Amino acid sequence: MKRKKVKVLNEAGLHARPSSVLVKTASGFESEFEIEMYGYRVNGKSILGLMTLAAEQGAEMELILDGPDEDEAMKTLTKLFKDKFEME
Amino acid sequence: MKRTAKIPLKERTLLGKPGAGGRGVGRPVVVNSEKRVVKPEKISPEHEKRELELFKNAVRELKAEFEKLKGISDEPDVSEVVESQIQVLNDPELTRLIKAKISDKNVKAVYAIFTSFNDYIQLLEQAEADWLKDRTVDIVSIRDQLIDVVRNHQPDYIDAENAVIFAEELSPTEMIKLSRFNLAGIVTQKGGLTSHVVILAHSLGIPCVIGVEWKRMRPEEFTTVMIDGDMGSVLFEPTENLKKEYRNYEQEKAEKEKNALQWVQKRDETKCGSPFTIRGNVEFISELPKIASYGAKGIGLLRTETILFESGGFNVDTQVEFYRQVAEASLPHPVIIRLFDAGGDKLPENHEEEHNPFLGWRGIRMLLDKPELLRNQYEAILRVSGEFPGKIKILVPMISHMEQIEQAKEALKEVKHSLENEGVKFDHTIEFGIMIEVPGIAMMAGEAAQEVDFFSIGTNDLTQYMLAADRGNSKISSLYQPSHPSIWRIINRVVEASETAGIPVSVCGEMASNPMYAACFLGMGLTELSMTTNSIPGVKQMLCSHNLDEYQARAAQVLDARNCSEVDTIFQDWAKEVELQQV
Repeated sequence: MKRKKVKVLNEAGLHARPSSVLVKTASGFESEFEIEMYGYRVNGKSILGLMTLAAEQGAEMELILDGPDEDEAMKTLTKLFKDKFEME
Repeated sequence: MKRTAKIPLKERTLLGKPGAGGRGVGRPVVVNSEKRVVKPEKISPEHEKRELELFKNAVRELKAEFEKLKGISDEPDVSEVVESQIQVLNDPELTRLIKAKISDKNVKAVYAIFTSFNDYIQLLEQAEADWLKDRTVDIVSIRDQLIDVVRNHQPDYIDAENAVIFAEELSPTEMIKLSRFNLAGIVTQKGGLTSHVVILAHSLGIPCVIGVEWKRMRPEEFTTVMIDGDMGSVLFEPTENLKKEYRNYEQEKAEKEKNALQWVQKRDETKCGSPFTIRGNVEFISELPKIASYGAKGIGLLRTETILFESGGFNVDTQVEFYRQVAEASLPHPVIIRLFDAGGDKLPENHEEEHNPFLGWRGIRMLLDKPELLRNQYEAILRVSGEFPGKIKILVPMISHMEQIEQAKEALKEVKHSLENEGVKFDHTIEFGIMIEVPGIAMMAGEAAQEVDFFSIGTNDLTQYMLAADRGNSKISSLYQPSHPSIWRIINRVVEASETAGIPVSVCGEMASNPMYAACFLGMGLTELSMTTNSIPGVKQMLCSHNLDEYQARAAQVLDARNCSEVDTIFQDWAKEVELQQV
């Protein structure tokens, strides 16, 4: 299991398009993917779950990955946050 | 537990309005009782698999629909939006929640979907971000679409054989699905006399009672129900005596039909020898045998919406197959094919709702906006016309503007041109006519007659548009009166215009099925009528037994009348006279 803290850098927060990209990318990995934010934990492959986080710019969250491809997944997913989901 | 006949007669009887005539006995089956509201309906454990399957298939179907949308536009924004909708349908947490509700709480798929989506919707509604509020609207819409898809599949596992159907109301799509069974009757809470349910029930010969309330009663708890579509009554657990009476009635009915059918062999002319033509209105393949046996000289109105509803894809081949079957059954007589008249109350469920569908996007208005649909239908009709030259005609519904005639003709010309290039054989002089059902085009009949080969007057829509009375709205359906003098005057005006221009005109609405009205039409100079096949023998009997001058005298009176009651009186007096003559 891998855990890593990330920050939402996108100006509008983790809105519709970033969360869609996140789900799409995460679904490509076999590992289980959860996100924890303010003690609230959601399935990272669930678009509705991500939306309920309503994460604004600057929000901090922890990515939790567990599975055979967890290393590669963590690398790819943290990069998405850093690159503002290739949007801005 | 089934109730018995020990319950007093009064508590076993329901009264409504007569919809479609005839009596029927069968077992009561309630459909789509959950239509409007989603109720926490429980299922027995053995149905769990079926509900899970319903949910799975609905997701698959809706996903496929979304995928199709993606292909429509190259815009990256569109495909992104569609992609995120698909993500909602794929959502692992949502799926788990819905399945758990079906399996553990034993509720119907519809209820499981509704409540699971709502759990998320509630959370999202509390959020403050604007983009989340927009997304919530999307999610509500996905929820409703998914529920619609599940419900569309539900009648499939209803066994409606020999059943009397009880429904709040039935959509045309549901009617079509149910028409595959041998129904004993239909009972609905809503619906006016000229609603689609009633028209279809009439043409399929299914007794129908409308405007029935069964709030306190649970029809499915009874074993047998008898309905009388002429009286508008519904009786649960009829006594042996009543059942016996019913069997006598069946015999008498068969006898009456045999008598009426004698008229089928008669020549189509009045007593004085003036000729007329009666054709049939047809929508289903199952109605075709009646074309010949009821003496219809071909089909004056082939409704094509059923193919639209049933095949969904309405591709050329499916249509060609349907038209060919119809044309073969009608030989040596012609078939007038009306282009898709979807819209209004005939819309399949999954479409955008309009505030005022009868004044909305339907008939030629929709077809001109959907060039591929129009092209496909033209192509299918033209291909079949090559096999039956001179027997196939095209009828365009819902024309209100002269420009639409031009556009519809232009589109036909293009299809003809490309078929010619492909070397496809078709009838180059195929006749092209329009429906006269919008007062705006009826007033322009003289000009329109210069542009087309024939007119067909649709009295149902013409009446509701003339009087601004929605025929499906029970609050004002009493204002929907074909006896309103303006209806007769405008029809007369159209007849005169077509006589001047020298083009044929026919009446294809329900008014033509009324023997007295049909006779009056003949008096106004009409010679072609088209009606549900069941009505043909009765109308023919009337038309054959009197002289044209009698019809002309009545027509003159009707065209002079000042109000509905004067028109009604003319017809009532005439009916009495005719009855006396028959005795």
